[in-house]
Amino acid sequence: MRKTTIAGAALGLLLATTSLAQAETLKFLTWQLTEDTYGPWWEAVIAKFEEAHPGDTVEATQIARQDFADTMMTQFAGGSPPDIVHLASFEYQPFAANGWLEDLGPWIDKAGLDLDGWAGQNLCTWEGSTRCINLQYFAYIMGVNTALLEEAGLEIPTGWDEFVAAARALTKDTDGDGITDVYGTGLHLASGNNYINDMLNFVLDAGGSWTTPEGKPAFDTPEMVAAIDHWATLIREGLVPADTTGGDARQLFVEGKVAMRIENPGLAGVIETSASEEMKPNLKLVPSPFDPPVGGASAVITMPSEIPDERKQKVWDFIAIATSPEMQELFSEVVGAPAPRPGSVTDAVLASTPEYGLVVEAMEKAAAAGVDRVPVGLETHYNELASIVREEIQRMIIENRTAEDTAATLQERVSALQ
Amino acid sequence: MSELSQPRTDLAPVRRSSGLFGIDLASPRHASKLGYLLLAPAALLILAILVYPMLLAIDISFHDVKFATLSFGASEYTLANYQKLFSSPDFWKAIGVTAQLLVVVTSISMAVGMGTALLVNQQFRGRSFARMLIALPWAIPEVVAVVTWVWILDASFGVFNWLLIKAGLVGGPVSWFSQPGTAFSAVTMVMVWKGYPFISIMILAGLQSIPEEYYQAAKVDGANVFQRFFWITIPCIAPVLGVTLILTILWVFRDFSIIYVLTGGGPVGATETLAIMTYEEAFNFFRMGYASAIGVVTLLICAIISAFLVKKTSHAIY
Repeated sequence: MRKTTIAGAALGLLLATTSLAQAETLKFLTWQLTEDTYGPWWEAVIAKFEEAHPGDTVEATQIARQDFADTMMTQFAGGSPPDIVHLASFEYQPFAANGWLEDLGPWIDKAGLDLDGWAGQNLCTWEGSTRCINLQYFAYIMGVNTALLEEAGLEIPTGWDEFVAAARALTKDTDGDGITDVYGTGLHLASGNNYINDMLNFVLDAGGSWTTPEGKPAFDTPEMVAAIDHWATLIREGLVPADTTGGDARQLFVEGKVAMRIENPGLAGVIETSASEEMKPNLKLVPSPFDPPVGGASAVITMPSEIPDERKQKVWDFIAIATSPEMQELFSEVVGAPAPRPGSVTDAVLASTPEYGLVVEAMEKAAAAGVDRVPVGLETHYNELASIVREEIQRMIIENRTAEDTAATLQERVSALQ
Repeated sequence: MSELSQPRTDLAPVRRSSGLFGIDLASPRHASKLGYLLLAPAALLILAILVYPMLLAIDISFHDVKFATLSFGASEYTLANYQKLFSSPDFWKAIGVTAQLLVVVTSISMAVGMGTALLVNQQFRGRSFARMLIALPWAIPEVVAVVTWVWILDASFGVFNWLLIKAGLVGGPVSWFSQPGTAFSAVTMVMVWKGYPFISIMILAGLQSIPEEYYQAAKVDGANVFQRFFWITIPCIAPVLGVTLILTILWVFRDFSIIYVLTGGGPVGATETLAIMTYEEAFNFFRMGYASAIGVVTLLICAIISAFLVKKTSHAIY
């Protein structure tokens, strides 16, 4: 009897130990967990995964966006990367180049995941293999203050000439104290790669591109010279607040101090949460005046190459849930922007807000033109490209250089990067 | 024969502790060993958190790597990073900016710190409140303070420009972070604002340790206020001044957050110090080998300056 009890206890202990050994905690770092839109979606994906894997948990940690790349790099370099790798689409390339990201091709084939027509997915191909799955693709739209436009007797601009004319008319010192109170538009003029994201509006509209389709720098073309000139005109003429970040420009827009702001679709959410009740009726979203609009992948999901195979299987299960039709539809519904999986925007979601159709239309237009913010051939130099472009434009303004000179200098400096 | 005067031959022999590894640490012969033993945990901790990363950084600086890993000598050793560094105009510009900032910020901070310390060392009503006000910038977390300064100095809606325009000192808003000169001035102003309280507190502590009799004797001898300052105050606080100067120089040298939040090193590199350049290369451009080389050069410069100043100030003291 005693022997049986001991044997039973030992078996119980063994089973419990085995069960504990199988139960795993997957580490997941993201900058979106506390965001009003993305946060609930990630929580739904995690809940679905934990429901399908009893005993397993996902330990999600919020990291500030500005610290995210540093944190991920430190974790990978230290040999303890998170299991579920979430990265911005413009920063995954150095990780892939270093061999830290798994080739997802075999996993995709095994699961039968069809990525045909998946928006922005071409960006995830690194040296012939698929290193990530794109989770977001969006295109820029424009926010306008209709009250200011009406007051100035202006129509909504639909091209560069109308845009700059409107910006000139809308920039005003309303109380005559020598300080401009309302600016025509707002740009990201601080450091960081949003500088070239904002500038890309003008580059694409002028028919230019950072690089050729073969990946060679294309700064010294007449189109790029025109784009640089347009960008510098807004700064030189004081039609934009100086030294602002994109976030500052967006905030000034919802406060009525910037009349037009070309942005990603997240602007709709900011108007909803940050604009005053008096201001809201004046703020309207319209198509970008620039053609084609800036578009691009925004965030990707993948897994590290150096984790055990059984752990990789669980991470893949998580990725499969995130990319499933159910979760992609949920994404389109709660995030307020289309998910990359084709057909993820249902009619009900499309009709949910007046802006949704506008966002989908912009996304389709950008995707059709093959637009992406990350330049071909300079994927691993994206941050440095932004730094060089900003520095040379600043030099152009400070030293009163011409757009041609600046374009030539940029061509030389960017070519040296390669 | 009393009990006390009895011979003690019958007492048991004193048992001496065998100690650690048979060494009697209580014995005067081994007293120094006990000292080393007690210091060992702290010394090992310092080795782990200071020396190991430093060695790692030096090792990485001799490898041409973009992303560094924790394995020493994983790839071939090379001097490429140092060759590139010393032939880079950006590096020499960063050295120049760092040196300018060092001279300007340190001298203004020392002057302001000395002035405020002398002020609050006097007897007057509200002295405690004045001391608290002087120390306030030091107590505010650096990034919080600098973000506030970014708003204050904002070209379009900042209160500083508004005040300057209202006072008639400028004709229109100044874009503080768009021009090299104004950006350097803005960085200098915020660094001085953040740095002088520490100097002031240190000097105040030094001033309070000067015996009053020295001043009384000097007055009796007819010394005026300047003579008392230069012949009593300065020599007496020279040790404090020396240490404060070294700490201030090292702080200016390695400060990152003030410059990065204010200007990010711009415009056109006008405020890019070695600290900013190191961060940019490591975490923005992902060139860890090159960034480590900048870090090692910075470390060497700091060590040389510190050694020189320590030697100088120790001569001044003794």
